[in-house]
Amino acid sequence: MQMARRRWWANKWYVPAFALVLGIVLWVAQWVGGNPRSGAEMFAIMVGAGLIFLLGGRSETIRGLRGDGRDERFAALDLKATAFAGMVVITCVIAGFVVELARGEDGNPYALLGAAGGIAYVIAVLVLRFRS
Amino acid sequence: MKNEVRNLRTALGFSQEELAKATGVSRQTINSIEKERYTPSLPLAIALARYFQRTVEEVFDADGKA
Repeated sequence: MQMARRRWWANKWYVPAFALVLGIVLWVAQWVGGNPRSGAEMFAIMVGAGLIFLLGGRSETIRGLRGDGRDERFAALDLKATAFAGMVVITCVIAGFVVELARGEDGNPYALLGAAGGIAYVIAVLVLRFRS
Repeated sequence: MKNEVRNLRTALGFSQEELAKATGVSRQTINSIEKERYTPSLPLAIALARYFQRTVEEVFDADGKA
């Protein structure tokens, strides 16, 4: 009985390739913004991160993160870690929103980020509620 | 969750790696189950029980929470 269904992205190349593409996008964006040197540094960082994922296959954590070593336990870890990261982000967004209000501003962009997060959460709950 | 996975596996002379391959999970997941740090999903619990030719209740003790 196969426990973990293989996803199309669950191979050793997807995350390194994504890091490379993101690095190029960041470099181009920085170039357009007049900071090609800073863009090159970002590109180098992303290439480095991609190489760590590509060559770090001996580590269970690396294999789990990039997908080819992911089973149900790692999927559960990933879900909990994502929820924790989401809580940290939304806490920072709320804190930023309050600080902006205290400064006499309108609370943006934190208000928009908070609204996007809240709406996404409610939609996800509703969809999952009807699918389960 | 308390379980007999380690006892059953060693009695059959299999390694964690072999059991992991047979059930489609990583060796670390088998290790976590044996150390009672990870409670497997129902499909994995059934797969393990089938592998040992036991019932799920014989392999896992739902009352003896880890």
